[in-house]
Amino acid sequence: MPNLAKHERLAGAALSALAFAIVALGFFAVIGEPPLATLLSMVEYAVGDRYSLSETLVKMTPILFCALAAIVPARLGLISVGAEGQFHIGALIGTGMMLWTQPFDGWLLLPLVLFGGALGGALFGWLPGILRARLSVNETITTLLLNYVAVLMVSAAVYGPWKDPGNLGWPATIAFPDAAVLPQLFGTRVHAGLLIGLLLALCLHVLFRFSRWGQSLDILKGNVRVGRMMGLDYRHHVVIVMALGGALAGLAGIGETSVIQGRLQPGISVGYGLTGFLVAWLAGHNALLAVPVSFLIGGLIAAGDTLQLFNKIPASSATVLQGLMFATALAVPGLIALWRSRRG
Amino acid sequence: MDEATLILIAGWVAAILRSATPLLFVTLGETLSQRVGIINLGIEGEMLAGACFGFAAAATTGDPLLGLIAGGAAGVVLSMIHAGLCIGLGANQFGSGLAVWMIGLGITSFYGRAFVGGQVDASGSLGGSWVSDSPVLGQLLDNLSWTALAAVLLVLLAGFLLYRTRTGLAWRTVGEAPEAARAAGLSVPRIQVSGVLLGGFLAGIGGAVLSVDYTQTWAQEMTKGRGLVAVGLVIVARWNPYLVLPTVLVFGGAEAAVTRLQAGGFALSSHVLASLPYVIALLVVIGAYAWGRRGSGMPEGLKGVFAIRGS
Amino acid sequence: MSGRMIQLRGITRRFGSLVANDDVSIAIASGSCLALLGENGAGKSTLMKVLYGAIQPDSGDILIDGQPQQFRGPADAMAAGIGMVFQQFSLVPALTVRENLLLASPRAPWLQVPGAPGLDTVLEVLSRLAPDLDPRSRVADLAVGERQLIELAKVLNLDARTIILDEPTSVLTPAETQRLYGLINEMVADGKAVVMITHKLADVAACADQTAIMRRGKLIHAGPTQDMSRQQMVDSMIGAGSPASASPPPLPERNVPRVIVRELGARTETQQIQGISLEVASGELLGIAGVVGNGQTVLAEALAGLHPLTAGDVTVDGISVAWRPTPPVPDGRVAYVPEQPMLNAVVPTLDLAANLQMRDIRRRPFWQFGRHGQDDVAARLKAADVRPPEPSRLTATLSGGNLQKLVLGRELAGEPSLIVACYPTMGLDVAATRTVYRQLFAHLARGASIIWFSEELDDLLEYAHRIAVLREGRIAGIRHRDQADRAGIGDLMLMHDMARSA
Repeated sequence: MPNLAKHERLAGAALSALAFAIVALGFFAVIGEPPLATLLSMVEYAVGDRYSLSETLVKMTPILFCALAAIVPARLGLISVGAEGQFHIGALIGTGMMLWTQPFDGWLLLPLVLFGGALGGALFGWLPGILRARLSVNETITTLLLNYVAVLMVSAAVYGPWKDPGNLGWPATIAFPDAAVLPQLFGTRVHAGLLIGLLLALCLHVLFRFSRWGQSLDILKGNVRVGRMMGLDYRHHVVIVMALGGALAGLAGIGETSVIQGRLQPGISVGYGLTGFLVAWLAGHNALLAVPVSFLIGGLIAAGDTLQLFNKIPASSATVLQGLMFATALAVPGLIALWRSRRG
Repeated sequence: MDEATLILIAGWVAAILRSATPLLFVTLGETLSQRVGIINLGIEGEMLAGACFGFAAAATTGDPLLGLIAGGAAGVVLSMIHAGLCIGLGANQFGSGLAVWMIGLGITSFYGRAFVGGQVDASGSLGGSWVSDSPVLGQLLDNLSWTALAAVLLVLLAGFLLYRTRTGLAWRTVGEAPEAARAAGLSVPRIQVSGVLLGGFLAGIGGAVLSVDYTQTWAQEMTKGRGLVAVGLVIVARWNPYLVLPTVLVFGGAEAAVTRLQAGGFALSSHVLASLPYVIALLVVIGAYAWGRRGSGMPEGLKGVFAIRGS
Repeated sequence: MSGRMIQLRGITRRFGSLVANDDVSIAIASGSCLALLGENGAGKSTLMKVLYGAIQPDSGDILIDGQPQQFRGPADAMAAGIGMVFQQFSLVPALTVRENLLLASPRAPWLQVPGAPGLDTVLEVLSRLAPDLDPRSRVADLAVGERQLIELAKVLNLDARTIILDEPTSVLTPAETQRLYGLINEMVADGKAVVMITHKLADVAACADQTAIMRRGKLIHAGPTQDMSRQQMVDSMIGAGSPASASPPPLPERNVPRVIVRELGARTETQQIQGISLEVASGELLGIAGVVGNGQTVLAEALAGLHPLTAGDVTVDGISVAWRPTPPVPDGRVAYVPEQPMLNAVVPTLDLAANLQMRDIRRRPFWQFGRHGQDDVAARLKAADVRPPEPSRLTATLSGGNLQKLVLGRELAGEPSLIVACYPTMGLDVAATRTVYRQLFAHLARGASIIWFSEELDDLLEYAHRIAVLREGRIAGIRHRDQADRAGIGDLMLMHDMARSA
């Protein structure tokens, strides 16, 4: 919501939240569950106790990275929905790095594996980026199509050459050695990736607000021709933001694979890419705001899992709720504008 | 050319057409929507909804035709969300489409779990006793259902309506120059909503054809991005319904080839093969951009949605 | 055709605090042509949009033959036989001529296959106006003059008896202008009423038997054209006692070329320029005339180093400033003032400070903490007469005049050697136009060279030292101020048109 004063934006956000709560209650009613009770249960399952909170944080981590993966290109006005694919390729290359460094040991393992993840993701960000820069191919379409390719590439690897026979038929690689895995925090499943993510969000925010690079992006986003007049190279910046975004999603991929999953296998992502895109949108493409919003959505998804366990409500309800949240967030500014124009 | 070869070719053609039929509906729907200036990424969700609810209807009533209609209805309902958001409330079209996709994903996973793995009878095939004299024709028509014929006829009809009637002229004007359309007394929102809803209906039917007719079953997320592929193919077909036919057939050909190769125990991993359709779709889209350029037929109204400011 | 009288009585219309029309009353009679004369921003377009039903007046009414009318929208006006041809055409470029006419015609058939009845009736009027126009050609491929004829045919197709033309000659070549004058006189002889909104006295002299002059929303004078002298019209338009027009800059003393353009060639998908060779001395103002669409944009961008060249070079003081083969880094040597500044010269979503300081984006230090130099920005904005001079104001909110002042403030800050200005005063009011000229001439006096693209032949003739005519991507000729006149320049511009209509 551009061109609005801070307090107007806050009011708009509050209104969106309220509207979403109403919509969510409506959804629960439609599927035949007690609306308010279910909503409150979700809140409890998200942050009610230490375990719930840690599960929320576990979900939050990849979502935050994927949100940043959409935010960085958005600073240039690009709409990249490729986090899901970049996530998978990051996992792929990172795992490849792990397999390649198998004979060795030492502290270098972890950075190498993470580097592999970033590299893989950057690759699947670079590709749509260069296509956009050179041929003006719409990046939304290319990233969406590449997502499917990436998931299939991971499947090809784990059903094929990387399949560990020790898994007794289950398509997965060998387990990640401890040296290649991020440390976990406080005995929970939450891992240091979260801290890295928080740090990255902060750094990106500072860069966007207070650096020449961020200002260049603002100019190019607002008017490419004028940017060119000032000596800025649009193509160059396109490739950079796309690759950087991809690298972030790739880190999410390798993080999830190595720590949470323990090995590369199908199903490492439950739509984190698209969820991250939603978070980026809700956060107004602001890297700092992505942190609390990814916490909220992480809670939503974690609660959804618990809802399936305890209340026998399918976890796909969390996907529906996300979609409804997205739709609500899109609808509210328009509704406000309509209401305003009616009042004259 | 001897008869055996002809029969082989007929078999191939039938396979390609069968594979392409769902996509024909969906691509036509998205073409019409984009022609009035609205890009609908939610078409993937609408196709899914059509597949899921169409299958559910066909499975419960035993009537595939009812299934197709139900699928179309499901597509329309979802597209109403997109129309309401971006036409009614001025929301960003990409965002709105993705939201609809998400909702479609979730709803179909939610309600579809009961129907996973079910089976329905196919729609009637075109063949039958009346082609018993000609084995070539029989090979061709026995493997095609009336939905394939309907798809082809619909595409041709759409082209005719778009280019040779006043309604089509109005639709094209809305997509090219909304201000000129307004000046000519047309209701831009009304036509845009019609385009989006019609697109949703066709996408829903396409999805229903996929589950009810082509695979005769339902699986979670079974459209696997075909709707998004359609968005790309619209660009390749230059927003021209007549060109949708060859474009989708090429893609359908690729898909049919992949299926044959997978079944034939080709050396390459089935997953790599499965990625070929997407790679091909990517390549044709890139090709359209690389060699299409100006005069590529993109409705002017869409350029604002796609374009970068100031370029 | 029976005559009728249309009256606008006491029309008042405000836009916020701006009074666009202030109690204006005029009469339009059949069989006559009324010139609605005034400067940009006088309120002429607003008044006619009220008549056309596109805008509702705050007070006042419209009468036809004494009967009050209610025009809730253009459809009502069209039903009453009032048609308007706007400056911005409402044609659809991607469609053909026939399709555009079909679109605008309510009697068009639903089925539009060749041979359908009613399909060709829409073309009857157009074939009289422009006999050699192929109805199957796409509007996008047509010249502006031809498009205007299609717009006119659209209006006549609807049986319009009163036709309003909004600044019709501003986009035409001299030959097309003559053709239009002929058509207007024909329509008047046919008993129609024509209202011509214009700011050019030549238009008035050619076809208007009645003239109404507006200034700042008020009707200053109305009556037969022959009752007013040219000077009286000018005084009414710009107000007696207003400062005289800016004096033309003196010729440069020494004629040593400072800016050398040698065999320049460049190409976009729609335009191209070839073999452009020019020389501009220090302190010289070179005007480039020519109808829009002959390569002006490409040439301007090529000169400013913003477009890659296919051939040739541009040097300033011996140093090449052209994009060949890589873009030059902006170093303040060349200033570029593009047309349509909101679209091409600023980033509307950023604030004034960002747009004002944009030129040094690549030379700034990487870290940009703190809003440094904000006072400096405010001072610079004030010096450039940008209103309001608030550094954090959103650029999109600036009016045309203030925006242009901001752009000039930015571009001219570094004492550039070459200034490339494209239609810098388009759409600006008198005061803003004055300011722009004053600034440009000041830089001229300090030794800068200016290449100035303009559509206003009169302005070029008055202020430029030399005028070059750009036609189909080449220089058709260059004339010195002393030897240039409207007819001569017009000849250079139109030779192509004569060949086409022959």
